[in-house]
Amino acid sequence: MRRLHMTVNGEPVRAEIEARTSLADFLRDSRLLTGTHIGCEHGVCGACTLLMDGEPVRSCITLAAAADGREIRTIEGYEGDVVMDVIRQCFSECHALQCGFCTPGMLATAYDIVTRLPHADRSRIRVELSGNLCRCTGYLGIINAIEIALRRVHGRPAAAGATRSVA
Amino acid sequence: MGVAAGSVKGGIGASIQRREDERFLHGRGQYVADIMLPGMLHAAFLRSPHAHARIKAIRKPDGREDRVIVAADLTGLKPIRSSPNFPNFKHAEFPVLAADKVRYAGEQVALAIAETAAEAEDLLHEIEVDYEPLPPVVDMKRALEPRAPLVHDHWSDNMFCETRFDYGDLDAAIKAAKHVVTREYRMNRQTPMPLEGRACLAHIDRRTDEVVVYVSHQLPVPLQIGLSQVLGIPQRRLRVICPDVGGAFGLKTYLEGETVAVTWAAVRLGRPVRWIQDRYEHLVCDASCRDHWYRVTGYADVSGKLLGIDCEAWCDTGAYSPWPWPAGIEASTAPGNIQGPYDVKAVRGRAVTVATNKPPGQPYRGVARPGACFGHETIIDALARELAQEPHEVRLRNLVRPEQMPYRTATRKLLDSGDYPAAMRKAAELIDVSAVRERQRRGEPDGRLVGLGFAAFYEQTAYGTGPFGYSGWGIELVPGLEPATARLTGDGELVVDVGVHSHGQGHETTFAQISAEVLDIDPGKVTVRYGDTSICTTGTGTYTSRSTVSAGGAVATACRQLKVRIARIGAHLLQAAEKEVEIRDGRVFSASGSVSFAEIGRAWYHHPEDLPPDVDPQGLTVVAGYKAIDGGVFSYSVHAVVVAVDPAVGHVDIIDYVIVEDCGRMVNPMMVDGQVIGGLAGGIGNALYEESPYDEQGQPLAATLADYRVPGASSVPDVRIVHMETPSPLSEFGMKGVGESGAIGPPAAIANAINDALRPLGAEIMETPMTPQRILDAVERGKLKQ
Amino acid sequence: MKPTSFEYERPDSLDAAMRLLGDNPGAKLIAGGQSLGPMLNLRLATPSLLIDISRLEELRERAAHDGYVVLGAGVRHAEFEDGRVPAVLNGFFERAARQIAYRAVRNRGTIGGSLAHADPAADWPAIMIALAAEVEARSVRGSRRIPAADLPNQALETCLEVDEIITSVRVARCGEGARVGYYRLSAQPGDFAEALAVIVHDPQRGYTQAVLSGARQPPQRLGQTARAVAAHCSGNGKADLPAAVEADLTAISGTHDLTSYEWKVRRASVLRAAQEVCV
Repeated sequence: MRRLHMTVNGEPVRAEIEARTSLADFLRDSRLLTGTHIGCEHGVCGACTLLMDGEPVRSCITLAAAADGREIRTIEGYEGDVVMDVIRQCFSECHALQCGFCTPGMLATAYDIVTRLPHADRSRIRVELSGNLCRCTGYLGIINAIEIALRRVHGRPAAAGATRSVA
Repeated sequence: MGVAAGSVKGGIGASIQRREDERFLHGRGQYVADIMLPGMLHAAFLRSPHAHARIKAIRKPDGREDRVIVAADLTGLKPIRSSPNFPNFKHAEFPVLAADKVRYAGEQVALAIAETAAEAEDLLHEIEVDYEPLPPVVDMKRALEPRAPLVHDHWSDNMFCETRFDYGDLDAAIKAAKHVVTREYRMNRQTPMPLEGRACLAHIDRRTDEVVVYVSHQLPVPLQIGLSQVLGIPQRRLRVICPDVGGAFGLKTYLEGETVAVTWAAVRLGRPVRWIQDRYEHLVCDASCRDHWYRVTGYADVSGKLLGIDCEAWCDTGAYSPWPWPAGIEASTAPGNIQGPYDVKAVRGRAVTVATNKPPGQPYRGVARPGACFGHETIIDALARELAQEPHEVRLRNLVRPEQMPYRTATRKLLDSGDYPAAMRKAAELIDVSAVRERQRRGEPDGRLVGLGFAAFYEQTAYGTGPFGYSGWGIELVPGLEPATARLTGDGELVVDVGVHSHGQGHETTFAQISAEVLDIDPGKVTVRYGDTSICTTGTGTYTSRSTVSAGGAVATACRQLKVRIARIGAHLLQAAEKEVEIRDGRVFSASGSVSFAEIGRAWYHHPEDLPPDVDPQGLTVVAGYKAIDGGVFSYSVHAVVVAVDPAVGHVDIIDYVIVEDCGRMVNPMMVDGQVIGGLAGGIGNALYEESPYDEQGQPLAATLADYRVPGASSVPDVRIVHMETPSPLSEFGMKGVGESGAIGPPAAIANAINDALRPLGAEIMETPMTPQRILDAVERGKLKQ
Repeated sequence: MKPTSFEYERPDSLDAAMRLLGDNPGAKLIAGGQSLGPMLNLRLATPSLLIDISRLEELRERAAHDGYVVLGAGVRHAEFEDGRVPAVLNGFFERAARQIAYRAVRNRGTIGGSLAHADPAADWPAIMIALAAEVEARSVRGSRRIPAADLPNQALETCLEVDEIITSVRVARCGEGARVGYYRLSAQPGDFAEALAVIVHDPQRGYTQAVLSGARQPPQRLGQTARAVAAHCSGNGKADLPAAVEADLTAISGTHDLTSYEWKVRRASVLRAAQEVCV
């Protein structure tokens, strides 16, 4: 067993865990933060993506023990975050989610794109999203949402989107 | 048909934001893996490493015998047996846990239970199983060779069944034909790969004396029925709850052995037991769909008008027949749709369903239609090539015309409405055929080859009781009247209960919109409930794109009846005649005043002294049942795609994609787009990336996501979608289903485009996925031919 | 997919890490965990002890010297991508790193981990060979320098002893006029490479190297290709480049099956990397 302490969504957390416990399982089972989802446990699908020290990481292949002393932000930890509010609003406007399972990981990656790459264009957004799989939406709604969020967050005027139904 | 759609804010036709989004965007969705019950145990399954073997012995670890369950322990279970009434169909049980034999790599052999999931997995490694490996059958053609090893020892061969039909006069068509084109093609096995795998959690609710089973599933009530039959628990004591489901696409529609075993264990141990499928298990055990081979021949007259089509379809459906969709349906569906949206008078079909040592076949978005579409669309293109005409022109010559609607196909489907040629012309215009041809003539500076392909097809949605289809096939799940309950609450808001389930389709929003349309109530004041058999007690669930038409129609019907009840009470409260009041904005209006729905609710729920003396004793709860038409209503689409193929490395880029589609009246156009684009992504996976291959020993070769590739954000192009909203004359508001059509077209359209690009090289590819390796091999074969 | 049980230690010095590694034959090092994590979850790796070296400052060196740079094994791919690492060839590290997996993986994965894991479809092993980098490996028994080309034995295996830790990578800085050709073939962005061709041409140092790796193909140097590229770049004609490539491919694969998929994609990848250098 290993003792660890970390900050989760701004709260200090102390726990004792088996060394083999992943960060994802620790958060879900011990902290009841079930918003972080497990989709593959081999670091490919991105559903488990959350922020560690402000950077997106795969919580399914990060040991809880390795996150000792770190600041973790899960999907439950963006209360009052204006940028995430904008991203969420854009996701809903652009129908960027259907079953919701990939969504928390998508939002973590979207948050990273919007804050780290203010000038990302559509093709850059696609590349940055390669590590987040979705089987429901076909991605276009997600790409549109991030495109619009970038503009709103960084104060640029709106431009025409690429996928629109033509009457 | 009710109120003209589009007249109500947030009603039909409005692209309102989804109600579901709030919880999903905040990580408050509740999937099976998120549900924790006190004292919960965790289950893991020991799975066969062999594709085919006898089980000689299973030894449980000392001291842990009570936490390991094998077939011999599962007393009291009835066998899972699912057989259609096809002639000579061979029967076999689908074991919950393998007893004497294992028949696919990954088949469950034992269940281990422990305090944590990790410990349950540890316990698996302490179970010893003595296997006697047997030679497996892995290829469906070889499986029918004489002396092939038998998957089921009591069968004479490995064929589940064969069905045939012969509609119209194909022999006459063959005689009269001036052009004959034949294609053979293979669609390789795939895995549906929803982001959430399968999962279940069972426990006993002591207060209600019910066994409660949470399952990630599409069919709550059928699952309740199936579990009840197999476990011997009366239905009134068995509650199935399907909470949030993280994608399903047809996979989560059968009675899973895991669910039976976990439920049995929970009852036996008296503690909740939960099983969460991991991704490795999913890629191994659920490599279960689209394993098809076809030979299709088109017979056409001198002008390219098809006179008849012959289709032979083979389906490798793995080792067992699942409940309720038995083996045999998928193969039989393909020839029944092989004529596509074309006016073809004669169709002959033969469907062969074969058992092999692979996971049991499951339906997956589109079912056999992507294969059928691949057939008729590649035939049309082959015909066009022979005639030296543009493929879209040959389609226009053959498509069913609007004046022929409703059109009875040779295969006895009634196409209800639509203008197929207009869709084809629109798609050709938007993709700009002449510009693509010009680009092809110029050539690409980087040496890539550009190609153009189309796919035209219909999608049969929301079909019903029979005789064609489920009941005619003797299947245990037959859709009938789809239920909906609409109830006005004491404070004037609405609760709608439906029997379908949502795994991303947004029913909480669309059914609120339909309710809003009929009752002129704010959709934000409507709660839609589904997935709990205690609440939604009937209905067959979500499959074959039926929810909008069937459940949506039931919701409209129930709300319409509720509207009458509300008006009657409202008129009484307003002291007006019933025919003098109208309902608007959640209120009942007379010439002199109005009352709110809340006041009406108040009267019914706790001030009956205010009610009319002849008030309906059913009050403000309406239970309705609805069916459109047994034969279903037909959406249709034309896909057009331009690709660039890199002949040096075989890589394919989709550089333009157009979809013209008609699903009748759209409830929420934004969400229809979502379904079409999501289906497109799945179709691109089918066409270019996804495959679950097996080696000669029946070992799965794509067991991690490093090998099983699904389309990512860079692989779905910015598609242009046009909606032609031709209302169906047969459904409420003219709605049609749309969930699968996005997935049906892409393999055919992309194949046609790739083959158009490769034509100068004399190469043709007729196997999905069309990987770079297969494309380069096709180019190599083309060189040999030349 | 939960791992087997193991102990976990996070020593606070390199010496302590080396001692632990030396004392525990069933131990494995874990840095970013992006390669090891999935293997643990799939139970393909079942160590008795994990030694977490991801926070050792001694592995975080990023130093520019005269003519070469030294990069600590613990430097993460994201740092290369963001240009926070001294350059050897303008913009090349950023460009190469950006194509490794996904940002979430790059935030944790390290260059030392990538070189020690030796996945043939990974990026850094081939790149470091093309740059003629040297790896420093240390254990309680001492330290040694290993040329990057000597590090991989075969797929997923290196010549490192079980108690050795890669501590840093030393890479020569390219001179003015140096060019790189880099062609990475994968089905989708972020996937492991089907084929990866790296060609470095540094006229100032008289150095040209070509390396090919990819799925199932550990990195191999392509000597004739390198010579042909050097010859072309110095104006001595390019007609023999395809022949040089084919000779190298024949030598490394032992066959000359021009119709096979593998042959075609490898040949195309090397030629496309060469094209980038030679224009």
